[in-house]
Amino acid sequence: MIEQYTITTTPKYNFPQPTIDTTLPQRLIELSLHSLKHVQNQPFQLNQQTFQQTNSLEDHIQPLQPKLQPILLKPKPEETIVAAVDTSSIKIGETSKGILIAVRGANVWKQNKSYRYIRLGPFLFHITEENKKEVYNALRRAYFNSPHEHSRQSSPNLLQMPTRIANLLERWLQKMFSKTISNGLILFDGSLTSGIADTPTQRMIEILTTARKRNNVVLAFSKMTSLRFNGYLITDVLLRYKPPYMLEMTGLKPKPPIVLLGDVYVARLTKGNYAFRLDIDKEVSHEHRIEAVEKLLGTDLFSQSYPETLRLAHILCTFTANEVIAMQHFTAHRYGLKIINRPDMHRLLFGPFGKGERRS
Amino acid sequence: MKLYKKESNIVQILSFPNETVEKGDYLLIEGAEAGKALIVQVIDVQFASIPGILEELLRSLPDGGELMQGEDFDPLEIAPHITYIQDARLNICKIRATVENEGLSPSSSWLPSRSQSAIRKLPIPTLLKLAKIDGKLPIVLGGAKDSSFLTIDASSLDGKLNIITGKKETGKSYLSKLLMLNLIRYKATVVVFDLNGEYVSLGMTADGKRNGYYNKIHVLTPSQNFKIALKQLDLHVLLSILIHALHLPGTSAREFRRIWQSLKERGSLALRELGEAIRNWRCNQHVRDALFSRYYALVNSGFFTDNVAEAMLLEECLFKAREEGGAIIINLRNTSAIDRQIVVEYLLGKFVELLTSWKLKAIFLFAEEAHLYLRETYWDDIVTRMRHFGIFTTFITNQPDTIRQNIYRQADNIFLFNFTNEHDLEVVSRAARVDAETVKSIAVDLPPHYCLVLGKVVKDFPMVAKVKALDVKTMGETRLFFKDMN
Repeated sequence: MIEQYTITTTPKYNFPQPTIDTTLPQRLIELSLHSLKHVQNQPFQLNQQTFQQTNSLEDHIQPLQPKLQPILLKPKPEETIVAAVDTSSIKIGETSKGILIAVRGANVWKQNKSYRYIRLGPFLFHITEENKKEVYNALRRAYFNSPHEHSRQSSPNLLQMPTRIANLLERWLQKMFSKTISNGLILFDGSLTSGIADTPTQRMIEILTTARKRNNVVLAFSKMTSLRFNGYLITDVLLRYKPPYMLEMTGLKPKPPIVLLGDVYVARLTKGNYAFRLDIDKEVSHEHRIEAVEKLLGTDLFSQSYPETLRLAHILCTFTANEVIAMQHFTAHRYGLKIINRPDMHRLLFGPFGKGERRS
Repeated sequence: MKLYKKESNIVQILSFPNETVEKGDYLLIEGAEAGKALIVQVIDVQFASIPGILEELLRSLPDGGELMQGEDFDPLEIAPHITYIQDARLNICKIRATVENEGLSPSSSWLPSRSQSAIRKLPIPTLLKLAKIDGKLPIVLGGAKDSSFLTIDASSLDGKLNIITGKKETGKSYLSKLLMLNLIRYKATVVVFDLNGEYVSLGMTADGKRNGYYNKIHVLTPSQNFKIALKQLDLHVLLSILIHALHLPGTSAREFRRIWQSLKERGSLALRELGEAIRNWRCNQHVRDALFSRYYALVNSGFFTDNVAEAMLLEECLFKAREEGGAIIINLRNTSAIDRQIVVEYLLGKFVELLTSWKLKAIFLFAEEAHLYLRETYWDDIVTRMRHFGIFTTFITNQPDTIRQNIYRQADNIFLFNFTNEHDLEVVSRAARVDAETVKSIAVDLPPHYCLVLGKVVKDFPMVAKVKALDVKTMGETRLFFKDMN
């Protein structure tokens, strides 16, 4: 059953087929099915919670200084592949032993003026205290492909698991793009900061190096940032220049083990007050970086300073309420879960003054 | 299916796409513990309000309205479940009755359990049995939605006021012919005011051969084989014709009454004598002119004769029909508007006379587009006074607003075909035996030849049926210019 899910691509896309490594999706499917086997006929509490992949790494970065002179950009309409990766995870319910989560990833690329996508998932997992270590380590092994990587890390707590699994899938999707695209622009969601459990520096360096060897430039857009200058968010530092432009941030000093693999910019690419943190691979020359952003401006559509390819990747992987209901329907029917309504203790105790349970 | 909501006598039921439920279907909501069940009818099928559906649809249209090309690797095959949820339906249903101890009550006060009640489709034959829509005189109207037959009882048309309405070419005439022929089968006397000559060949099969009804269909064409002699006429019938059909003023009518009595006393009630009498009558010249103009209208209609033998066919046909059932088709096809009114005034007067004297037991009158020949004051007469004499009318029209509101209010049965126009549906929905929501929702979507049956014939359980095809020469087809060219 698993073998039939090898990745095939549309003819126009320049993925060299034989080199595609399907290890992670195969492991995802195996682990997903394996974890769900143990969920049969359990009571099932429906609730949902989207896990925002917050950039907690930024807490470990020292304050920074912007360069006063912005880099003014001119869109270069050259035929370039623009590719973007994003993943998302969601908790779709609780069982008596753990949680049911869903993970999905999307690769979107623009070629010959049209957008295409490959979407992986949803992969459903029943994560319990008993199996979380096994699931996480099996996935890490499948992705990192080296036995020593996982030994240093302990498995995350139950509530961190959705984000962690989604991150592993995201890294794998990024690796696929870096290995298969040439002369293109690869857009990541988030930053190029590494050094934590699911973003090991060595693996990120490998992704960036592979991309670079194939003459690609990696651009990482962060939807949210906590980096500040003079107390203000860097994305609020708006100069009186006509967009598109970038403003380079210097003086960033990450605390170990955090490593910045990219240089940080504030990019204001269209009119309006929207700006984003943009990380560009450190090893790419200054000229190439500017050329890459200009090519992106000339090739992709932009809405509110954000590239359409990345927006589509985000849209395609995000779960809608309808999909959550469908997954709940699937698990309830396929695995005979009995849906229960566990009382909300806040509501029970405080009535209308109870705001419902909150999780940190 | 799951019960979702109840407001007043409307319940909302959730269903998935594989549970095929259509407008007009009946559902049974059974509460096992309560030992009761609700009979509800689907009056509208909507998409269930699914959270995130807008995002879902927008997501598939990101590129200027074109679908984005791509591939989905969905190892657990969740996509069909997503489609399933997306296409979930919300069935808006009207409570029709409660089943308790195998009996029906129109109450909707009982509320079944939302989580425990079982919901299933109620087959039409079961409903017909439950509602006791059966009898000794069955009339098969046609196929119901679930491939069963919708059968009504002829006695539920007896003494009733019926309306058959729908837009053009939806099958109204088919149904009226079906009802009519079945009534004849049960030896009823039927009279049809046939405006377009559609009923004249009912005694023939579609391929032109005589059928079983041949000897029971009597076609009377005014001024051809249907004439009346003045001697047969009552003065009040003729005065009705003169006043209502020919608009004779009151003063002139008084003079006419005197002339008529004078001729009657002399035993010379004939057309020629009537003309002579008007000419020689001592009266105002204007009165004379008025009388003369009406006299010539009567003469020119060709409907009146002095030959009594020529004027016996109507009674003969009626008495024949009384014995073995039959239909008298009054072919008004080539009759002018005024002559139509003259004929109808005469006939209604004659029927009342025959019914009052118990020469006839009852008449089932089928009146097509009655506004074209029925005077204003007769509408009330037909639904109230004449009903007591034994004239049971079925109005057939494609212009529902031509039938007065009080007729709808008193209608016992309504056979409703498709209407697209909201105004038309608004008019029909005023009928007392109908709820406006059902009419407006179901009738709009009825395909041609499908009919929504409302009223006593279906014990107030509105039902949709495809009207059965008839093997008779219907003659109702519209003449087409381009027919042979295509």
